[in-house]
Amino acid sequence: MIDHYDWAGGREAMLRFGPDTGPVVVAAMPLFEEANRARAFIVTILRALAAQGIASALPDLPGTGESLIDTENTSLNAWNAAFSSAAQHFDPGSRPVHAIAVRGGALVDATAPVASRWHFAPVAGEGLVRDMLRARLAAAKESGEAISADTLEPPGPPVELAGNRLSRTLLAELGRNVPSNRPPLRIVRLDTDTQPADRHVAAAPLWRRSEPGNDPDLARLLADDIAAWIATCAG
Amino acid sequence: MLPDDINEIDATVRAVLRDVLGLSEARVAGFRSETPLFGGLAELDSMAVAGMLTELEERLGILIDDDEVDGEMLETFGALVRFAASKANR
Repeated sequence: MIDHYDWAGGREAMLRFGPDTGPVVVAAMPLFEEANRARAFIVTILRALAAQGIASALPDLPGTGESLIDTENTSLNAWNAAFSSAAQHFDPGSRPVHAIAVRGGALVDATAPVASRWHFAPVAGEGLVRDMLRARLAAAKESGEAISADTLEPPGPPVELAGNRLSRTLLAELGRNVPSNRPPLRIVRLDTDTQPADRHVAAAPLWRRSEPGNDPDLARLLADDIAAWIATCAG
Repeated sequence: MLPDDINEIDATVRAVLRDVLGLSEARVAGFRSETPLFGGLAELDSMAVAGMLTELEERLGILIDDDEVDGEMLETFGALVRFAASKANR
């Protein structure tokens, strides 16, 4: 069902899945174009959790999805504040709230008052900016337009990167932020990713595909991993 | 470079193209040295080029400077494997 949550900057939409009691998983989508590519996949994970009796919420962050805020007016601080508010939508006294995040989503759960964090393929903000800048550079080479990394430095007008107009402040914030490592934290990565993790799984990086895809087998596997992790945290 | 190394790089480049472009295993297995990439594969747009470079960096443990990315290294499958091998060999 479509619900809403309020935060200091306004009201945003939030998809809800599963029962009205018991633990709640609040999910942080990847950022920018990767969100479009991974949305169906994340919804499949949340539906699989619901089938196990675990509730979840998928908030739109300000400047993304159905938000009325322009993307160029958003910031990483705003995303952290909004995600915290989405987590606080649920009463932790009556139901434990856990955060899960995919890719750049792991950059927005740092301040949320949650019982645990679970990250899938978390990425530093610098890596995301580098990817978007690379795409822009590749496109610029085709068109003969001159562009360099200096183009992103604040102050200045928003920069168009990978189909989004983004503020230079946001890009600078991303450049210096890495995923929260506050425990309890569980990290799952693809087996092609050599960085340390609690578990590596064999699968393709769906967020790289220009045609939005899904991987129901991987979604079920990750839902099982999340369910087991939450049970451990409740232990 | 040992033949094993070049085989592994060849396999990694195929896997990255499969994963990033959403191509079938059979299709990437059919890639030959002269198979055209940029301009030949509709799926390989600028976003895909960026994703492909990052995946190659992560999986091969290499660093690719954006200045090195040009039409030549993306022209054919063979050119991309040679480029990746030259980076991995340093």
